[in-house]
Amino acid sequence: MTTQPHTDGGPSAAHTVTDTDLAALDGLISHTTTQGVPTLYAPRPGEITAGLFFRVGRADETLATAGITHLVEHLALHRLGLSDLHYNGATANTYTLFHVTGSEDEVVSYLNSVCAALRDLPLARLETEKEILRTEAAGRSGGPGSQLPLWRYGAQSYGLTSYSELGTWGLTADQVRHWAQTRFTRDNAVLWLTSDSVPAGLDLTLPAGTRRPAPAATSALPVTPAYIHGDDGHVVFTSVLRRSTAASVFADVLGRALFQDLRQEGGYSYSAEADYTPRDAEHATLTAYADALPKKQDAVVGGFVDTLARLRAGRIEQSELDSARGKILKRYDSPDLGASSLPSYALNLLLGHRLLSPEQHRAELNAVTLADLREVAREAWSTGLLQVPGRGADWAGFEPAPQYSQAAVVGTRHQSLEDDRITLVIGDEGVSLVTPRGPVTVRHDACAVMTTRPDGARSLTGTDGFCVSVEPTLYRGVTPERIAAVDASVPAAAVVPLPARDPQQIPRPRERTSAPQSSGGGRSTWAWTLGLWLVGSIAAIWSLLSAAVTADELGAADPEWDAVVGVWVLALPLLLVTWQLHRSRQRRRR
Amino acid sequence: MSSSSNGRGRASTGAYDGTYGGASALMSDPFDYLPDLAPLRPAAQAGDWPAVRAFFMGLDSAEKVSYASGLLSDIAGVEGFLERAVAELPGDPLPRTLLARRYISIGWDIRSGARAKHVSRDQFDRFHAWLRKAEQLLIEVCAEQPAYAPAWTARLITARGLELGQAEARRRYDRLSAHHPHHHRAQIQLLQQVCPKWSGSWEDAHGFARECASAAPDGSVAGALVAEAHIEHWLDLDSGADAAYMRGLPVRDDLRFAAQVSVLHRDHVPGWDTVGAHSTFAMAFSIGGHFADAAPHFAALGNRVNESPWCYLPDWRGQFTKFRKNALATL
Repeated sequence: MTTQPHTDGGPSAAHTVTDTDLAALDGLISHTTTQGVPTLYAPRPGEITAGLFFRVGRADETLATAGITHLVEHLALHRLGLSDLHYNGATANTYTLFHVTGSEDEVVSYLNSVCAALRDLPLARLETEKEILRTEAAGRSGGPGSQLPLWRYGAQSYGLTSYSELGTWGLTADQVRHWAQTRFTRDNAVLWLTSDSVPAGLDLTLPAGTRRPAPAATSALPVTPAYIHGDDGHVVFTSVLRRSTAASVFADVLGRALFQDLRQEGGYSYSAEADYTPRDAEHATLTAYADALPKKQDAVVGGFVDTLARLRAGRIEQSELDSARGKILKRYDSPDLGASSLPSYALNLLLGHRLLSPEQHRAELNAVTLADLREVAREAWSTGLLQVPGRGADWAGFEPAPQYSQAAVVGTRHQSLEDDRITLVIGDEGVSLVTPRGPVTVRHDACAVMTTRPDGARSLTGTDGFCVSVEPTLYRGVTPERIAAVDASVPAAAVVPLPARDPQQIPRPRERTSAPQSSGGGRSTWAWTLGLWLVGSIAAIWSLLSAAVTADELGAADPEWDAVVGVWVLALPLLLVTWQLHRSRQRRRR
Repeated sequence: MSSSSNGRGRASTGAYDGTYGGASALMSDPFDYLPDLAPLRPAAQAGDWPAVRAFFMGLDSAEKVSYASGLLSDIAGVEGFLERAVAELPGDPLPRTLLARRYISIGWDIRSGARAKHVSRDQFDRFHAWLRKAEQLLIEVCAEQPAYAPAWTARLITARGLELGQAEARRRYDRLSAHHPHHHRAQIQLLQQVCPKWSGSWEDAHGFARECASAAPDGSVAGALVAEAHIEHWLDLDSGADAAYMRGLPVRDDLRFAAQVSVLHRDHVPGWDTVGAHSTFAMAFSIGGHFADAAPHFAALGNRVNESPWCYLPDWRGQFTKFRKNALATL
């Protein structure tokens, strides 16, 4: 039902988890299957916490269906709405998690209810849940680095988290049902429970399906390290690392190094931290962040650049490695190690990442060297994307991320009614906005979404993240026929109809820009206009009189030429003053 | 701080004996007036990297390396052998720093010393491209050797040219001063940055100059920064107001105090920056008409002079000899 996103490579090579891998967990975590769903469990005193993972998330969607996974999650939980149980659902990039804490009976009834709902979604609720998701989105603000995924991946795969859930406008019941039946299957799930046995009475009956590997990453960045401009007060750096024990240690070393440099030594930042989050079976996302006072943000960028350079140069103290390693090793001091490790083992099983026993992981941690950290630092740099406030980061070796498309399409040309230098092109292959600094193009065959308005407006977003808005009121000659031509070319799966806009929301052209001088910035000219009228009228009347005198004298037998010259000499200064007033008034208007 | 009469008495040992020549006899090239520098220029002009390296390795302070790397950067063509040296010695901070200084000079020659509004877009693009090349070498050097003052000093110049902002320039200076608290070549660079022409303010400029002067030990050249800040301020004022500013007693007293604790102090040990410091004081007192105050500086200079800041004056050599005559007449 949905077009698979265009990718620049095959699906990630997920490791197939076998019983041999699970054997690594013997003595710590037990495993079985429940109605075909792989199940991990380990005891912990007190209430039971359980989580049901599905290998589907935002990165599996398209921009036109964005939010479909979240919708399924909401619909699956709807029936539990009024219970007092401590439960929730979460939709991430590559997984959806239903989790609960309670007595055995409560956990059983929650999980049974979720699976029953997934088998038969309460689709009568669809429009209401769509509305709820739109409301939820309106109240959610993106964090400081929320635009980075779209610049790295485009409007597809892992870039979709930068966008709103557009699917909440147009998704049909059939689409949502199909998504649940193909993604929320027993073969695409893993259950974990903090319990010494799998409770009787669990009914996780789900349709059969296949384990879907995490989607392959797309790329919208031709060159890395790259940078983009962001809001004042925030510096964010992300990179993609191969998953490894050394890489996870490096993230901690980087976080501490930034804190030491930017907060403790420099005093430029309050927060300075780094995070390592697995993206798929093979790769993880490293995110480093520092805030800054506006007056200090240049220094934060400088300190960030220098800290990355220091780690890349391998000037890392043994104590930095030891502290980071110690922090990770401390997790093994947990009294209920098996139970507390369940979510991460379950997620690795789901994604197809290798499972390491605590002993194996400890051995790997102890084997990490300073040279390993330097290697990770270099990898982090080479795949880096930096978001900086204010000035760019080209001085530090970052390339600007592309601001314009490679080329414009050929088609009918529609000049902007606001700015002569801008032209909209509507062609058979796509649409382009041609600006003096470069074109922005969305090709129909790489169109992630086209939103439509009843007033004729269209907004197209390409899979590379570039966006062109076709507003018929803002360009010359964008007739209903041209809009129909766009509609006919964009694949139906990419179309999202939006409701009618308030007439006030339909844009109207601002005053045009043709010359470099700005319009509307002129000074008051009423006094000059009045003066021009007064002097101009006297000059006109005198000139008429002079003309009459001239004509009269021309007709006379003996013209009095000195009188003719006299009246014209008197007219001249009047005409001159009129001309000067006119000129001054024009100047003031510019 | 000790009494002024002592310092002044000692500093004027080179008192005027009537033998100075005119403007043409002035020595304004450090290669001419600092004999220690003698081996550097011929080695650089011959592209003799081993000799250039040996010269730098023989210097006994980071101050001297920063000073000499600035001079080397103005010698055309040195980038050729420096690029080869960088390739041969990838872990050595010296060749990368010298090469970066040369790139900065090449860039600045393209930009020219004109105010920004007189520099074309194309000039700026090429200027920035050279500075970025320099900066990326220097990022590496500072990452590897955070105490290497000559690289941080160069990064103060790239920060200014690339307009990385006041906070970033100050961060660089702070990183440097953590290891070298009174690095004069770096202080001269940061003083330029904090002037209004580079988006600073007079408050910052005078404040930074005073901060350096008061933190430095007695007899240090840091006091000359106070004079330099006043000269920059004078240059920025309109005709008339500028002369009044320098004639004013607050500026004169500020200059006197700065001179007394620096090059006129009995603890002052002449070094490579001494001529520059006396040149600055001599000019600051002269343009304010304080010739008696200028006299010990002219006396210490003799025929030697540093072009900066004198080159701010039209026909500066002529002015120098005229002011020197007026000043020495007061002795």
